[in-house]
Amino acid sequence: MDIFANLAHGFVVALSPINLLMCLIGALVGTLVGVLPGIGTIATVAMLLPITFGLPPVGALIMLAGIYYGAQYGGSTTSILVNIPGEATSVVTAIDGHQMAKQGRAGPALAIAAIGSFFAGCVATILIAVLGAPLTKLALAFGPAEYFSLMVLGLIFAVVLAKGSVLKAIAMIVFGLLLSMVGSDIETGASRMAFNIPELADGLGFATVAMGVFGFAEIIRNLDAGAEMNRDLVQQKITGLMPTRKDLIDSTPPILRGTVLGSILGILPGGGAVIASFAAYTLEKKLAKNPSRFGRGAIEGVAAPESANNAAAQTSFIPLLTLGIPPNAVMALMVGAMTIHGIVPGPQVMQKQPDLVWGMIASMWIGNLMLIIINLPLVGIWVRLLRVPYRLMFPSIVIFCAIGIYSVNNAPVDVILAGVFGLVGYWLIKHDFEPAPLLLGMVLGPLMEENLRRALLISRGDWSVFLTRPLSAVLLAVAASLLILTVLPVLRAKRDEVFTESEN
Amino acid sequence: MAETMGHSATATRNTSVVIGFCLLAIAPQIFEFIWSIGTIFGWGAGRGPATVLISHATALVTGAPAALIGAAGGETKKSSSDVLLALIYSYPILAVAIVTLFMTIRSAQDYVGGVILMAVALFALWASSDLQGMRGFSFGAGTAPRMFGGLLVALSAGIALSGLLADGPSMAHYSWRGPLFVMVAILFFALAIRPLGLVVTAFASFMIAATGSHETRWLEAAIVGACLTLGCAILFPYVLGLPMPMFPRFLIQ
Amino acid sequence: MTSLRALATGACAAALASLCAFVAPAAAQTYPTRSLTMIVPFAAGGPTDVISRIVTAHMAQTLGQSIIIENVVGAGGTTATTRAARAANDGYTLITGHMGTHAASVPLYPQLAYHPEKDFEPVALLAGTPILILARKDFPPKDLKEFVTYVKANAEKVNAAHAGVGSVSHVSCELLHSILDVKPVGVPFNGTGPAMNALVAGQVDYMCDQIVNAVPQINAGTIKAYAIATPERNPSLPSVPTTTEAGLPAFQAQAWNAMFAPKGTSPAIVASLNAAAVKALDDETVKKRLLELGSVIPVPADRTREALATLVKSEIAKWTPVLKPAS
Repeated sequence: MDIFANLAHGFVVALSPINLLMCLIGALVGTLVGVLPGIGTIATVAMLLPITFGLPPVGALIMLAGIYYGAQYGGSTTSILVNIPGEATSVVTAIDGHQMAKQGRAGPALAIAAIGSFFAGCVATILIAVLGAPLTKLALAFGPAEYFSLMVLGLIFAVVLAKGSVLKAIAMIVFGLLLSMVGSDIETGASRMAFNIPELADGLGFATVAMGVFGFAEIIRNLDAGAEMNRDLVQQKITGLMPTRKDLIDSTPPILRGTVLGSILGILPGGGAVIASFAAYTLEKKLAKNPSRFGRGAIEGVAAPESANNAAAQTSFIPLLTLGIPPNAVMALMVGAMTIHGIVPGPQVMQKQPDLVWGMIASMWIGNLMLIIINLPLVGIWVRLLRVPYRLMFPSIVIFCAIGIYSVNNAPVDVILAGVFGLVGYWLIKHDFEPAPLLLGMVLGPLMEENLRRALLISRGDWSVFLTRPLSAVLLAVAASLLILTVLPVLRAKRDEVFTESEN
Repeated sequence: MAETMGHSATATRNTSVVIGFCLLAIAPQIFEFIWSIGTIFGWGAGRGPATVLISHATALVTGAPAALIGAAGGETKKSSSDVLLALIYSYPILAVAIVTLFMTIRSAQDYVGGVILMAVALFALWASSDLQGMRGFSFGAGTAPRMFGGLLVALSAGIALSGLLADGPSMAHYSWRGPLFVMVAILFFALAIRPLGLVVTAFASFMIAATGSHETRWLEAAIVGACLTLGCAILFPYVLGLPMPMFPRFLIQ
Repeated sequence: MTSLRALATGACAAALASLCAFVAPAAAQTYPTRSLTMIVPFAAGGPTDVISRIVTAHMAQTLGQSIIIENVVGAGGTTATTRAARAANDGYTLITGHMGTHAASVPLYPQLAYHPEKDFEPVALLAGTPILILARKDFPPKDLKEFVTYVKANAEKVNAAHAGVGSVSHVSCELLHSILDVKPVGVPFNGTGPAMNALVAGQVDYMCDQIVNAVPQINAGTIKAYAIATPERNPSLPSVPTTTEAGLPAFQAQAWNAMFAPKGTSPAIVASLNAAAVKALDDETVKKRLLELGSVIPVPADRTREALATLVKSEIAKWTPVLKPAS
């Protein structure tokens, strides 16, 4: 078969010493970037781009790709250890992962995240090689109407993943949507709610808000009087480093399901990877015999989204490799790297640049192998880091977050904004609002509004497109049924509560 | 605070909440006033403090009657942004504050949380009130913000209502030391990174943040801070290649 | 308290720093004595970024100092341009401006914090990127003439894609529409990638875009090109006619990229920068790499500072009437 010949060719390319080295550097830098809070893959890839000019194009791209999916591994680390998601895709991991860490199970959480990511990465790489070209059709079948419906579905997922009041979760999503409206309007360019602050002209950055409501808020909360005891308890409780047999058995089906969901959703440019991680979480919560464990340290809540986001990170290369169209900002930078080397990727890139395409695909598998070899031993080090006294830990996190946020745009105002969102996050905690739905609302808000408006522009204001286009209709139907499934038990519980109260 | 059971305690609690809401209702005006003091010293652009005070006071006092008369007279004159702020933001919150006086709050956490969130939503409604709405079949810039703003007003009202109807936790305790010093550290970092460079800024911010905890031991913090600064100075500019000033600007030139 | 002392020291240091910034004399004799910063108002990897990197790499050799590229994105490049306008005019901070930041921004952003003519010293024109009229592969018109009649007849039905307000694709399509005197629906996307994706998928009908991203798609037949809006055909797309040949000579548009320094930079410094840029454009490898991108290298007469000043003036005059009603 052609594929085997191609893959063999790819491995020959990827296994050359220079490319192996590039792959290793990419994986290491990616892990580092993922672990450091605030520093995003976009900023790092942009900074490293000039270095790649001196390298052969294949090696350069292997390295950049390594940074991209390596950051997915590293991103889970900060989410689990200190509750700071560095990327939108690891917001969900923070929910149960950090709870596990609080229960002294940071080791198993980190290990299962790495194992899940590795499995998902391997499967997704094979998928790219075998089905890359046909799967491209999916990316093209998604027009504005379909994206809008997908975003609606995504917001319903955000409701499901809330562990407290549904009303409060919905309010947080809408708050997030409202925050995402800050900046310039896509259609008219009008400045919205930016109060003439130039740094707000392009809206609030994800890193800024995430560092604030997760990172800074968590620190401030931990400094509260009375919180010390809790922390010391966490430090004493640390149990085994590696997952137990039961953990592995519990997480196998979530890893499998997460991989499937992530592989499919990852192909969709624009928000696919983000939705993948919490679609996976929602699925596990809905399938679980005891959903109340979720949000309180369920290992499935780490295994599924981590597998999903890594699978998505791999399959998101499909539009780039088959169409030559970058599906996100990091890939756009990779196209830039290729352009500088005189290769402009297009639909024929697979035929014209077999070294590049197949070398990259093969390197992804090698990269994933390297990442798990790097990450499993690191688990011990990370867990030991938790034993550092909090009085030294928290100022260090503050500094790392501040540098990270500053580095995104070299904008001091972003750091101040993150501080303000730290106070907002502190307030949210005090009133028992959850920050995760807020962040997801913020990430999905612009995508939802833009696609809604695009769809309505193309249909000339006819709202029925969302129902007449089959894919869109199916997505909306799934969203509606999921909402009903979520709200019904809550209503029933409320009624029961009322009854028990009246009996007293 | 010596708290006793019974009605008197709820009553005092309510008054403080009401006063808080009243302050919240004019918080943007107060903020602009404080901000405007800076213009005396030539910092930033904007209206002077006197103008701010007078225009907001007149807007707050005459806003409602003027708008009512305008509506009755069928006038469609556009109100100024100050008057809109009073109408869209301040009046509803003041109304909530008045209503609060006569209510028994069963869950302060939900009630206060809901009302503050409502204030955020109303503020967003005001902030997007100058944006264009629907133009034929196509959305205007203001359509979506107003839609989400309105939705959030409704949802937060629901949360506040649930705080009146169902028993729940009361207000959580806020501490001041941690938030204050962490915020000062962040602020210092933001203002100093450009002129003073990474080395000075990171160390100073580390020490300021460390002040936020009463467990901090100074010598230990200074040593760790110095090591961390050194680590950052190697890690960020060299390993990751992020362009960042390292030393104070005046030392380089 | 240690923190208080740290704060006090910090405050003193800050005061000193600002003082020194004022006192520091502009050392022009041995310019440049340290590395330069080139602000690029767009993301790394985009056409403006790539052109800047290719040219500055050669300029750094000539000047004997490294040139650090700083990508500052936001608000159609105006964030970066504002920063450059306010930067010290000592010749160590430069910016690669383009059609959008230094011409179209004037009518597009009424509250623009700078003026392209008043706040900058023109240094040199670097390269232009031709603009193409592209359409989905099954769009009925076969050539530009048919396209013009089709769009005029179906202005209510057709959808034009663009990569966001203020982007080259938006601005140039507005020019095309003003020439055709039509107002079709413009569907905004977040960048050229998503817009191209929609065009390939057939969700929108046509768009105007820079040559770089379009060439491989045209060659693969996933989209088609009607014309190129430059006076001459482009070597990377020899079969695509110019707008003049195809019967729409009024539509001429090129995304030009040029180097600017903040106003008040000493003429000697600007002259040496211009010389270094011109030398770079004459270099064979630089030329080759720019041509590979489909760029148009300015002829010697267009490489002077005066020529760039004239270009900025004429471009502002060209875009203002086209874009004024839109904003």
